[in-house]
Amino acid sequence: MKIFFVTDLHGSEICWKKFLNAGSFYGADVVILGGDVTGKAMVPIVQRANGTWEASLQDHRDTLESEDAIVEFEKRVMNRGYYPIRVSDQEYVAMQEDEVLVDKRFKEVMLDGTERWIAMAEEKLANTGIRVIACPANDDMFEIDDLLSGARVVETGDEDHPIQLGDFTMVSMGWTNPTPWHTFREEEEPELAVRIDRALEGATDPETTIFNFHAPPYGSKLDNAPALNPDLTYVSGGQAIRPVGSTSVHESIKRFQPLLSLHGHIHESKGATRIGKTLALNPGSSYEEGILQAAVVNIDEKKRKVKNYQLVNG
Amino acid sequence: MAAVGEAPTLFLRKATGLVKGWSKFDAFLYSFMSVNFVTLGLFFSLAVIGYVPEGQVLPALVISGLFISCIVVTYAGLISIMPRAGGDYVWQSRVFGGGLAFVLSVTGWWFILWYWTPIYASILNVEVLQPLAAFLGMDGLLTFLGKDIGLFTICVVTALLAGYLVSLGMEGYARIQKVCFYIGLVALAVVFLVMLFGSKAGFESAFNQEAGNLFGTTGNAYRDTITFAGGGAALPADIGLTPFFGKSMLIIPFLCFWILWPNWGSTLYGEVRGASDFKRVMSGMMWGLWVTIAIAAVFLVLSSKFFGWDFFNAGNVNFINYFYGYTDSPGPTPVWTYPPLLVGMFFHNDLIGALLVLAFGAWFLGWAGTLFLSSTRVIFAAAFDRILPEKVADVSERRHVPVWALILMLVPSIIVSAFYAFTTVMKTWIIDAVLVIAVTFFGTAIAAMLLPWRKKRLYEASAMARYKVAGIPLITVTGALSALFLGYNLYKWLWPPYNSPDGNLYAVNVPDSLWFMVSMYVLALVIYVVAKFVRKSQGIDLSAIHKEIPVE
Repeated sequence: MKIFFVTDLHGSEICWKKFLNAGSFYGADVVILGGDVTGKAMVPIVQRANGTWEASLQDHRDTLESEDAIVEFEKRVMNRGYYPIRVSDQEYVAMQEDEVLVDKRFKEVMLDGTERWIAMAEEKLANTGIRVIACPANDDMFEIDDLLSGARVVETGDEDHPIQLGDFTMVSMGWTNPTPWHTFREEEEPELAVRIDRALEGATDPETTIFNFHAPPYGSKLDNAPALNPDLTYVSGGQAIRPVGSTSVHESIKRFQPLLSLHGHIHESKGATRIGKTLALNPGSSYEEGILQAAVVNIDEKKRKVKNYQLVNG
Repeated sequence: MAAVGEAPTLFLRKATGLVKGWSKFDAFLYSFMSVNFVTLGLFFSLAVIGYVPEGQVLPALVISGLFISCIVVTYAGLISIMPRAGGDYVWQSRVFGGGLAFVLSVTGWWFILWYWTPIYASILNVEVLQPLAAFLGMDGLLTFLGKDIGLFTICVVTALLAGYLVSLGMEGYARIQKVCFYIGLVALAVVFLVMLFGSKAGFESAFNQEAGNLFGTTGNAYRDTITFAGGGAALPADIGLTPFFGKSMLIIPFLCFWILWPNWGSTLYGEVRGASDFKRVMSGMMWGLWVTIAIAAVFLVLSSKFFGWDFFNAGNVNFINYFYGYTDSPGPTPVWTYPPLLVGMFFHNDLIGALLVLAFGAWFLGWAGTLFLSSTRVIFAAAFDRILPEKVADVSERRHVPVWALILMLVPSIIVSAFYAFTTVMKTWIIDAVLVIAVTFFGTAIAAMLLPWRKKRLYEASAMARYKVAGIPLITVTGALSALFLGYNLYKWLWPPYNSPDGNLYAVNVPDSLWFMVSMYVLALVIYVVAKFVRKSQGIDLSAIHKEIPVE
């Protein structure tokens, strides 16, 4: 069985399209998006009083003269993982002043975006024999869970819903230890440990269990992130690196020793490591650049072993 | 609140990784310590200008600075196009494929660092330990440090220190680096003030007296130093700006040993949201480069005023000739006329002299930690790409130390150090240390030039796509100018042949030195070819690592 695993696409449309093509490209049986499906930013395209449209991307201000130009701009925005929104001058100013309006709009665009992605997956992968799995993680609002679980081709899983991959069971968990951003699915380590225990209740055989835990294990070198000051600026210009993974996740891997442990969350900490007998991987993420970082894992189903793996930049 | 008519800005939600950016000062500091005026500049680049007596160092500095600014723009551009990619290896592999990128990167960021270890040790020896021993009257230690076994001992200490700093992690080291920066600047300010307000006659008298006290010289040691170097006729005339080009251009390949590295550690973490991020990274490196050049220019002018230009160059030439085995005697003083040592003598107080030298040691400590850091990153990247065995990326769980990566650095470093310390010939290949990295940079400059066409989508998605010069992508223009500059230096280092007149100025193109470098490229190639076959037998295709998945 060949697994193609990616994580942290954060709304990048180009990465999602590559993800849907990855099964046939690498000959994978299943493609898995480990978590953080949705984007982090909205880019307003503002209609001025004189009827022209203005927008700004990557610090560059654009005046969009035609519908084609707007569509082209929207495409660029979506490829970077942001959501384009068309608003009037007044709406834009109102959103600047009212966080509730921004949250409401965020919810709308994230759900619309996820629905669109599900539709693309169904169009592309229905009846191909390639399974596609997308799980929510800490940066995804809870509302997308229902969308994913209601999808026909796209499968999803969480700590209460393991996924069967042939003879193997994949246990997923999008919750993480606390981050400085207080995102949707975070909790302190003791609570996280309880959640992990609950997720593992159904898993009995380590040799046929795969973890898909969004948070990487603490101190595993899959969790090295630049240290931040309290005001969220980088310590020492980003050169100071610190492990920020979860101790509960580390402990659970050490204790349970699954065949494979797949992680994400820390985009800059691409890598592979062994924790006891377990192979743990974090393919990292470069979603803003449209590069699909991934782990291709070949599992020998008879021997119940990882035959080989490769971290690729598709 | 945004006013109607202002440029629309992003709406961000609370999400992992959304940081507020980099402090320009931190980016400057890292760059400034990399183009280290005291360790790299004084130890070699500014110590060898006496070998080009008809050239002028100030124009060479300005010309180098302008071209290295292009390298800075190129690297800042690559960082903004592919942030957190891990540097040259990933950038090159995107454009050239994995094989060439691996060979160019491991030679420049890993293998040649084995040879940098004894160079670091030599700097520690002659800039910190020997002057300290002299001021503290520790004659036995001074004699030991001047011997081959003394140098080898310092090599081992340096390698262990660099290994320890890696295990400390960059966060801990960054704190040390910041403290060192301030101590080093204060020490430099003291030296500059003495050189500004002190007189040449006063220095000459102090030197003659203190050289006698510290080293037992007799007579006029100042004059003897100049005479030993061949006298005024063999040394450069006073500092100036002419010729701006001509022979001054021959100094540039020497300067690269020191100021080619403002982009060292050019890995960026976090999300690049726009042009402002590119500008911030670029300006940090640019300030690091140009502040260093300004400090050097002031220092050189003050040296001419305070030490006397012929004495400054004579002391350096005597040291270089002896250290690299061209003469059997060091001249009137048994140690290098290291400028802080000379200024320390001016105080006629050994304790003040020792403290000044010790404070200057901060320039070394704030820089030495980078010796193995980049190498461990490259080793990890190669292991993740399955070119090296998985084991080499292991990190000890208890101490968080990359044990195998450190062994791969430490063991060869100590072997190379032994050859360096116990033979004279290997010391003379010092330019090898810069040439191999310059080749890596050259590869990256070419990759940057081609990137807008070879990786069109990637380029067009970046903020860099907005910057053009006469319709040509800025990164192509600066990449070409960088390649031109690096190409010029490579040409001057390697040509004309060593046995032709003026052919051995840089001592890099002698057969042994060339074989030393070639062996590194062969080793890298062998590792890659073996890895390719071994991985193929395991069902892993190394060429798949960088293949782009179709979008539609």
